[in-house]
Amino acid sequence: MNPQATVRLTETDGIPTLFAQAAGPMRAGLVFRVGIADETLARAGVTHLVEHLALHRQGLADYHFNGATKAAFTHFHVEGTEHEVVAYLQGVCDSLTALPMERLETEKEILRTEEARRELPLLPLWRYGAQGYGLVSYPEWGVRNLGPQEVEAWAQTWFTQGNAVLWVAGERLPEGLTLKLPAGQRRSLPAVTSALPTTPAYFSEGTGGVLLDAVVTDSAAAQLYAGVLERELSRALRQEGGFSYTAATDCTARRDGFAVVTAFADALPSKQDAVLGGFVDVLAALQVGRIGQGDLDAVRTRADSALTAPDAAVRRLPAMAEDLLAGRSLRTLDELRAELRAVTAEDVHKVALEAAETALMQVPGGHSADWAGYTAAPTSSPHAVTGRRFASKSNDGSALIVGEEGVSVTTRAQDGTERAATVLYRACAAVLSWPDGGRRFIGTDGVIVDVEPGLYGVDAPTMAAVAAAVPPAAVVGMPPRERPPVPKPGPAPDGSGAPHAGSSQRAALPRRTALQTVAVVVFGLLGALCAFLALSFTVFGAEDPELSTGEWIAISAFLWGFTGLVSWPAVSILRRTRRL
Amino acid sequence: MSFTSSASSLPSPDFEVASAFPEAVRLRQDAAAGDWASVRQYVDSLPQGTDRSFATSVLAEIPGVEQSLRELVAADPDDVFALTVLGSREIEAGWEIRTDARAKDVSREQFAAFHAHLREAEKLLIRATALDPSYDAAWAERLNTARGLELGQNEARRRYDRLAAHHPHHFTGQARLLQQLCPKWGGTWQAAHGFAQECLRNAPDGALNGGLVAEAHLEHWADLRTSQERAAYLRQPHVHAELVEAAERSVLHPDFRPAHAYGWVTVQGCFAALFSLIGDRARAAVHFRGLGNLASEYPWSYLGKPADAYVKYRDAALAGG
Repeated sequence: MNPQATVRLTETDGIPTLFAQAAGPMRAGLVFRVGIADETLARAGVTHLVEHLALHRQGLADYHFNGATKAAFTHFHVEGTEHEVVAYLQGVCDSLTALPMERLETEKEILRTEEARRELPLLPLWRYGAQGYGLVSYPEWGVRNLGPQEVEAWAQTWFTQGNAVLWVAGERLPEGLTLKLPAGQRRSLPAVTSALPTTPAYFSEGTGGVLLDAVVTDSAAAQLYAGVLERELSRALRQEGGFSYTAATDCTARRDGFAVVTAFADALPSKQDAVLGGFVDVLAALQVGRIGQGDLDAVRTRADSALTAPDAAVRRLPAMAEDLLAGRSLRTLDELRAELRAVTAEDVHKVALEAAETALMQVPGGHSADWAGYTAAPTSSPHAVTGRRFASKSNDGSALIVGEEGVSVTTRAQDGTERAATVLYRACAAVLSWPDGGRRFIGTDGVIVDVEPGLYGVDAPTMAAVAAAVPPAAVVGMPPRERPPVPKPGPAPDGSGAPHAGSSQRAALPRRTALQTVAVVVFGLLGALCAFLALSFTVFGAEDPELSTGEWIAISAFLWGFTGLVSWPAVSILRRTRRL
Repeated sequence: MSFTSSASSLPSPDFEVASAFPEAVRLRQDAAAGDWASVRQYVDSLPQGTDRSFATSVLAEIPGVEQSLRELVAADPDDVFALTVLGSREIEAGWEIRTDARAKDVSREQFAAFHAHLREAEKLLIRATALDPSYDAAWAERLNTARGLELGQNEARRRYDRLAAHHPHHFTGQARLLQQLCPKWGGTWQAAHGFAQECLRNAPDGALNGGLVAEAHLEHWADLRTSQERAAYLRQPHVHAELVEAAERSVLHPDFRPAHAYGWVTVQGCFAALFSLIGDRARAAVHFRGLGNLASEYPWSYLGKPADAYVKYRDAALAGG
């Protein structure tokens, strides 16, 4: 038997250790059963912050190392000489035992910079809500308010000896390696929550293509299903239709016996309808069992070659470490290969049916998937709370209701139906709190209620009562806003400003088109010119002996009004879009 | 009243589809008797390349037929034929609720029920095309659901392309896409006329597809508001020339055979109607003679009460000839 294909399970200072014989530089990883899904929305980012603090002492070492915070696991990874690997691992453990708190504020700043560059996935929040696995969809709101004690407590609870697994690939296990970590127990996997009353479900958002995920039993068949799906999507949408440039799939084990299959196809804005239609038909073909043997074999061959590659065992070590932490049985490469070989088209068909039952699809804004049998994911709450009602000062028919149990915003749609967004205090994931008094409530189901005293004319005692009803652990102190929302007169068209399920309000603004950019420049320049004229007249016109004060006021007002009118298109576009 | 008396000397138009295609009688009888084996045997016996949408439509128009079709689908969820006819029946039921009225005259409740039927149809038809991507009638029905559910121009075109991959000259599919390409369903006249010409150019001699050129002109004419605009549209020399060419390459071509050429009554009718409207009575007469006294709702419903319009233009055309 190839010695490189075997993985030995041993122990280092009480920490389970996976070892694979390999030539070349030594590679190692320390993995903990903790991740974003273990956090709460109001403290989101604490794991990532600990990971950063733990790596700080590594400084600018010239060997390769990294850290990664995932939904349920956190990895510290290194590659170098035996000496360097030992230094790295011991350094990480030392840091985790006594976090360099003098770095706290700096690392928070680095996390904020990192976050600005990261695109947050939307599907988890719609599937799981604003808790557990859904938290990967949210910004790391908790980081700002975390104090040293909270961070320390998090590290002591989760980054422990009992909750870690080490893996090493090299000539031998490094000598003299000691890993000193706080004592602690193995943690079970995060609870799988749901924000979807019915599946398959869909939601419309964004301008990209079609994105879908589905939860299926973790198996070789699921992996092959994802591969076959990718080939079919490419064939239908790229080769035949020419609607998409990219069609890709992924199958990621959640380590709880299930895997999440994700599929994506991009779309030109003008071809979104055809991409959606083609996507639905590709899924349907697999659901009725039309699975090409050629596709299956090709995908299987590729999967198998990954298992027979010289570094196959080494590459699998991080995944095995996760399996070990999740309490799953470890399987050899040969066992995995045997499972791959045994998969039939009928097995893949079964996965397709399982995926069809649990699917969640994101379709581009303005499109729907109800025609294809997908139920719209909830974007409002079934009920409003009973309590004191504050009508919006915008006179758009919306109202804020403050009750004993929670808060609601109700809006009236054009057809006269009333929709409510409700966050109950007992199911409140976070309350974003601005110094100007504005509050944003986010329910564990992802529903958002904005409690803006200025918009609804809420009195101070009521705001105080609302603040007192919220558990302090849910409050997120936010920095001052540039512009607190103000009432806009007139009814809102189609009840926009309506309650949204989580993402709608949180989502990035649509990108500005080239035409809109031109419009911004043109109207902006016009507006500036008018403003200059208006300003000149306002300043110098007052002294003009030929003008009465009344005339001066009237003409000034007209000029300023005209400036506003001319500038409005530019302002409007700037507010609705973001730069390319 | 000599005009009226001369009209009565000719038989009144026959709108019964079975008069042109007697197999419709058999299909209706078999379906009513629940003899689906016989229905299936007939449909399966049609020559390769036959437009099977005709049989589907005849069956889908039978009141109450959905009950036995649902039993067939329950017994065999992979029965492509039953899925397709049941889907077509759902579309039919939906349109009965929606009616042909303009969108602004259709109530919210009517639209909701219409869409519910179309979604039900689409579910069945997605399955049908997934099971057999070469099944022409299912794709042709999915052009109707795409239009009614307003899924978009590209999606309709994608469905047509899937159909055309196996059936490049599918007259029913082409006629349905043509509707989608008209401005009333979100298209443009350029796209509609372009597609009609494309169908004509690619079709074999004597095939019905040239009739789409006439349909496109008829739709364009009907979309114009005033009688002056309509008259001016038809006075354009290229319209007449295109109609002449399309007729000569389709129903007037020596290779044209009416058997199994489902839709030929509509095509002859379109040419007859348009040449009548243009005032080319001689050409109109040729098409009226080709029709005998057969008629279809389309195009005559565009010209008034179908039977009255038919008689009026036919008698005018034949009086001259």
